[in-house]
Amino acid sequence: MNVIEINNLTKTYGKSRGITDISFNVEQGEIFGFIGPNGAGKSTTIRTLLSLIYPTSGSAKIFGKDCIQFAPEIKKEIGYLPSEVFYYDNMKVKDLLKYSASFYKKDCSKRIKELAEMMDLDLNKKIDDLSLGNKKKVGIVQGLLHEPKLIILDEPTSGLDPLMQQKFFELLEEENQKGATILFSSHILSEVQRLCNRVAIIKEGKIVTVEKISTLQENNYKKFKVETKSALAPEYFNIIGVNNLQAKGNVISFLFKGNINTVLKKIAEIEVVNLWIEEPDLEEIFMHYYEKEA
Amino acid sequence: MNIFFHELKAYRKSTIIWTFSLIMVALLFLSMFPSFAKDADQFKKLLAGYPLAMRKAIGLNLANIFTILGFYSYSLSFTTLCAAIQAMNLGTGIVSKEVGEKTADFLLTKPVTRTQILTSKLLAAFTSLLITNVVYLIAANLIAWQVKTVDFSVKKFVLLSVTMLFIQVIFLAIGIIISVIVPKIKSVLTVSLATVFAFYFLGVFSETSGDDVKRYISPFKYFDNTYIIKHASYEGSFLIAGAIIVVAAIAASYMIYTKKDIHAV
Repeated sequence: MNVIEINNLTKTYGKSRGITDISFNVEQGEIFGFIGPNGAGKSTTIRTLLSLIYPTSGSAKIFGKDCIQFAPEIKKEIGYLPSEVFYYDNMKVKDLLKYSASFYKKDCSKRIKELAEMMDLDLNKKIDDLSLGNKKKVGIVQGLLHEPKLIILDEPTSGLDPLMQQKFFELLEEENQKGATILFSSHILSEVQRLCNRVAIIKEGKIVTVEKISTLQENNYKKFKVETKSALAPEYFNIIGVNNLQAKGNVISFLFKGNINTVLKKIAEIEVVNLWIEEPDLEEIFMHYYEKEA
Repeated sequence: MNIFFHELKAYRKSTIIWTFSLIMVALLFLSMFPSFAKDADQFKKLLAGYPLAMRKAIGLNLANIFTILGFYSYSLSFTTLCAAIQAMNLGTGIVSKEVGEKTADFLLTKPVTRTQILTSKLLAAFTSLLITNVVYLIAANLIAWQVKTVDFSVKKFVLLSVTMLFIQVIFLAIGIIISVIVPKIKSVLTVSLATVFAFYFLGVFSETSGDDVKRYISPFKYFDNTYIIKHASYEGSFLIAGAIIVVAAIAASYMIYTKKDIHAV
């Protein structure tokens, strides 16, 4: 069963880029990654799902119901964490969470306590006095306190330290095991890889691909950067599996997919000053996808 | 209901401050009444020296300024100006506060309709104004009884005072419509001060000509204190004009707000 069904969703605004003809489904019980660079249209898509903005054309269904027409009903079962959280300053954490809970017709006080303990959040502080990371925690508790069936996260990890991030991911996995479906938007590939079953990759308002993480990992690209003592013709590395071959002075860089040993052997034969082997960042992955299309 | 109480609580401090300030303005003016009434003849001569147009512009009416109701209605024109700012602040803040404090995402992703949100906020703002007016009216009435030289009609006093609430409701409505139309209001106070003073001075100008039609331009002139003192009632056509503004502005606000895109900030 699909928890989210997006059909040809389009949103155009005056100046800023919107989204064009977006379609994908999120199945029940999955952790679905939604990944793309800043400004690609992730937030636009999510905000449309939450009926914060209205689509120009196309539609989306959540729990099988139109997300605009049945918005209040659907939202009972949605937990949302925006990328930037700002809450009523003049309130204590406790009061804000109580206010948030008052919208759902169930007793959430126990869950609030649990979550706050887990996230190490002081309920008696004023929101004003909280650091960005702690405000984020308020956002997390606020989004999860009513035990939603669908959790929508828009770049949720910014501002959280690695330890908290880890705890937060564990929390999400726990919720997922209890049956919650999660839509996780991010521009950081590693966190999506860590958490998600499937991903949709969006660029410039269009879905580039929807793939299983495992498939993405099969296309495991490495980014090589080799600094040599004396200038070397970049063609030296022109072997099968090499992409985006570039040379700048004595530094040669390329993307490689395949058996790493073949490259390492080639490198071993030359005089190397410095060597970097990195995960390619998103832009480079996108480049790869665009090349495939061309 | 939870939104209503949350908003009401958020307004608590400003409501107390505004109510107190309005009472202070009334106290300041009314405490001058005894000495003013004592030297009535001298003041009359002095004031008669001003051109008629100017006297009208500042709302001076020599026929009744030396009665407590006349004097009070003169002070009321100042309290009403302040009260209009309070109402306009509330109205403009209803939607733009959510945008400014970036809490719109919080509220609008809860299982409530936008109509429910706007209604709750509107009612909370109106309740704040109502509380302000009730407390003010009681206080002003008490002060008036202390400074009066002869007894006065409480009915007329109430009728005069309630015009403040009417004008506040009009400015509340104007504030809401502005806050849903203007995409991002940086400072609520700037917008409300500018609007209120613009209408106030429009009112002053319309008064100088003595043309009744021009009075429709400014809500400040919908309630002619001299008329109220004389007839112990309001002018129907202006009541209707006020009601039309309020209903139109609020209806339009609902329509725009329910269709509006709430952008990330």
